[in-house]
Amino acid sequence: MGYRKLFYASNALLLAGFAWAFLKDHNAEWKPYQSNFNRMTAGELDKRAAAEPDPQKAAALRVQAADWRRRPLEIKQIIVGGLDRYDRCITCHAGMDEYSNPTLKTPFAENPYKGHPKIDEALAKAHPFTKFGCTVCHQGQGLATTAEAAHGWVKHWERPMLKGTHIQASCVKCHGDFETLRGAEAAALGKKVFERQGCQGCHAINGVGGAVSVDLGDIADKPLERIAGYNFKRVRIDGKELPEESWNIQNWILGHLTNDPAEVTPNDPMARYNAEPIAPSAMPDFRQEISRREADAVTAYLSGLTKEELIPSRWYVPGPRPREPRFADAAAHGRYVFRKYGCQGCHGLDAKVGRRRFNALGPGQNKLADGATEEALMAEMEKGLEPTLPDVVGTYTHEELVKKIENGVPLAAMDLFHPKGPVPAMYMPPWKDKISKAELDDLSTWLLSIAKKDDSGF
Amino acid sequence: MPALDLDKIKKDVVDSQIWRSVFRGGLWKDTPRDRAAHIIGNVWLHLHPVKVRPRALRWSYSWGMGGLSFALYLLLTLTGVALMFYYRPTIGLAYRDIKDLEFAVTLGQFLRNMHRWAAQAMVVAVIAHMVRVFLTGAYKKPREFNWGVGVLLLTLTLFLSFTGYLLPWDQLAIWAVTVGTNMAGATPFLGNEGPFGGLLGMRINNDVRFTLLGGTMVGENTLLRFYVLHCVAVPLLVGILLILHFWRVRKDSFSAAPCQAGEEKVDVWPHLVKREYVAAAACTIVMLFWSILQNAPLEVIANPNVTTNPSKAPWYFVGLQELLVYFDPWIAGVLMPGLIIMGLMAIPYIDTNPKGIGFYAWKERPFANAQFILGVIMWFVLIAIGYYFRGPNYAWYWPWESWFDIKPAPPPTWSVFGPKPDAILPLLLGVPVVGAAFAAAMLLPKLIQRELGGKMLMGGFLGLVAAGAAAGMLAHKIAAAQGAFLLFFLGLSFYFGFVLPQRHIRALDWPRYLVTMFLVVSTISVPLKMCARLTFNIKYLLTIPSISMNI
Repeated sequence: MGYRKLFYASNALLLAGFAWAFLKDHNAEWKPYQSNFNRMTAGELDKRAAAEPDPQKAAALRVQAADWRRRPLEIKQIIVGGLDRYDRCITCHAGMDEYSNPTLKTPFAENPYKGHPKIDEALAKAHPFTKFGCTVCHQGQGLATTAEAAHGWVKHWERPMLKGTHIQASCVKCHGDFETLRGAEAAALGKKVFERQGCQGCHAINGVGGAVSVDLGDIADKPLERIAGYNFKRVRIDGKELPEESWNIQNWILGHLTNDPAEVTPNDPMARYNAEPIAPSAMPDFRQEISRREADAVTAYLSGLTKEELIPSRWYVPGPRPREPRFADAAAHGRYVFRKYGCQGCHGLDAKVGRRRFNALGPGQNKLADGATEEALMAEMEKGLEPTLPDVVGTYTHEELVKKIENGVPLAAMDLFHPKGPVPAMYMPPWKDKISKAELDDLSTWLLSIAKKDDSGF
Repeated sequence: MPALDLDKIKKDVVDSQIWRSVFRGGLWKDTPRDRAAHIIGNVWLHLHPVKVRPRALRWSYSWGMGGLSFALYLLLTLTGVALMFYYRPTIGLAYRDIKDLEFAVTLGQFLRNMHRWAAQAMVVAVIAHMVRVFLTGAYKKPREFNWGVGVLLLTLTLFLSFTGYLLPWDQLAIWAVTVGTNMAGATPFLGNEGPFGGLLGMRINNDVRFTLLGGTMVGENTLLRFYVLHCVAVPLLVGILLILHFWRVRKDSFSAAPCQAGEEKVDVWPHLVKREYVAAAACTIVMLFWSILQNAPLEVIANPNVTTNPSKAPWYFVGLQELLVYFDPWIAGVLMPGLIIMGLMAIPYIDTNPKGIGFYAWKERPFANAQFILGVIMWFVLIAIGYYFRGPNYAWYWPWESWFDIKPAPPPTWSVFGPKPDAILPLLLGVPVVGAAFAAAMLLPKLIQRELGGKMLMGGFLGLVAAGAAAGMLAHKIAAAQGAFLLFFLGLSFYFGFVLPQRHIRALDWPRYLVTMFLVVSTISVPLKMCARLTFNIKYLLTIPSISMNI
């Protein structure tokens, strides 16, 4: 081909390329949604005009319809002062634009044309959309104007839109009193389940609770980079592996309640990849005790625990100070203390049977010699349990028991089934700084009251 | 009505005062005089000579890479200026502005894609241009200085690309720049982690890295600094050097040799200009379609508290990052790049071979071509390893292995000479042994003045290594793969480090010989060290911890 032809061809291609780029930009994903909405709204108005007996009113409706048809397409956004958010959701969800549609209702049923569903009058009144925007409650990527990116179903956006009851996480974010709020029932249930199962025994929340595992006070902000893909790949929700776009903090929390955490985080008990053996996740398998609905509730609650972008104090509604219930006798109070501090997290609901642990020598476990085979080690590890309290507390006096709880069981005092077993070994932390003396006394009283009586005559 | 006389209208227009004041010359008559006047009378085109040798027009000769580098530079200026209207370099706004470009600004995503991809393409084009100029001997007298200017332009191109890498302020940006700038902290004397840094009182908050970052870590000041460097300082410097570069090309004329004796030169207008236009257009078209189809990456907003794993430098520096596996940071991040830049600039002055200017002289310049191509191949092999074969924790992952699978920790490393327990032989023995080996490698090729038979030499050496490897295997000291690696790496090093210099440059005068051999030995030290580390887990050949001198 001669250069003259190449010259013309390249110029034509340049033009075509620019045209394509411009057209691609011009045909943005959001535009058909907005124009459809305008057209459909105009259509509805025309229909109403046709049915309207009063010709003057009918004419007014037709003018409105014509106005809707003429509206220019534009990116619309709500600027949320103080939270540094720019929510462009109403660009497509035009029916939820409070400026042009104050009732937030539309005659259309399908997304993105429908109005805001299940709108609670009080809730809407307290949270005008023009002031709060969308992502404060829903999460997602407010700046985005394509469906996938805006809902946050893309890689590199770590706060996807909250699904189902998980949205109640957003109540927890600002409302210290969410447990009594209408509309935050799931989150309230989540907190109840969290405390019922004794999660706070290991997971403190903002410093309140045990220090065995991570503080969950800002769990919603956990960067996904900190969670290995190796572990995410092992999470099953409803029996299904998660696609990579769904690797988010909600599924990470949920995955801990719908899987055996030791399967999700098996770590390296045989020191295959590390210099030292590392125990699997010590978190118990709660699947027998927590239903799927409750697991979602816990997820909603925990997903609201955030230190996010300095939510200004004027957005924050403090909750009431927790009140301690009163009890008639010491044992009943002791049982309450047991639950309050999450002892059941390790020792089982109502101390009935100890939960799994990996290192300490427990009942039915064999002490292994240094050169034990991998299979033997794994087999013994599987058998390990926390002490079942009714079986063991009977050998203590009241004072001894109080002292034991106060000081915990340091690693050095523990009998391990294998000297080189997986680390870190689980041990009981000292509780003397967390549980008051009076509470300890009653706890000990209750524990001794449920101790199994020795039948041998002693 | 009179008939429409197009020729008369044309003549009237061209002869009008307006036309003549803007464009010189009358009606186009396509005479040699017209063609020359077209080049001379136009400020932009007169960067060209009026006539060039036919060879210079051949695509197979020039690859068009110099021109394309400049075309990409213009494209980058254009898109860059457009982007500047929307971008504010503060950590509160930068990332959001990029999101705005992506989602709300007309053609914003397209412009950003184009800027990103054209920057990568320009790095490739500039390197390709350098390779072409080397292979055609175009740096030789009288063009030595312009080659040096070109090397500086190459360095500045990489620096421009690197400073731009930070601006989106996402995790990719902050950690790539952290990796890149950490190397500056290892500069000898001037970096707080470099050898002798303590002597000059270098701390983390007053060394050269601090100057670059405007802080002890990548932050607000770094973003502003990189922005100003990227948009103002470096482009200005590049512009100045470009003018110099072009002017020298014009004055020294193109290097292309005549295709046959006594040939006529051809007119630049239209023969060269049309080629330039079509090449620039084709390049722009590729960039256009690439930018329409592929979005520039943008990750999570930068978070100095969350390190990505792995953190990799921009691809063109990943080769240097890969060197960090084998060498201490001051060698991999400062000495090696310094040697590459200085070595490249020194080439025209140490290459005394007068043959092979203006054509691909494989036969006339075996030594220069072989060593240069080895260097270029190593540069890209290292990049490929760092980019495709390194996963989390910078461990070795084959491309077909998932990064979500866990890898065992690497086997422990050891050193040959140095203090116990890491090293197996004492330092007192190591210094003379390593010194003697270095001296031998440097001097032997010149000291043996007789031409040795290359094939016999190579055969003998490989046979020796093979015998040694076989003995090692029989004694179960090394595995078959290790033996093969040894054979390959030692053979390669012996060929390029001894056989070739012995055959080709032993007659060079001492100063040039020593500089050349130093560069050759430095080059082959890389595959040698790679072999030691990858095959035998040797960390250092010689380690002197007291002065942080490890090789």
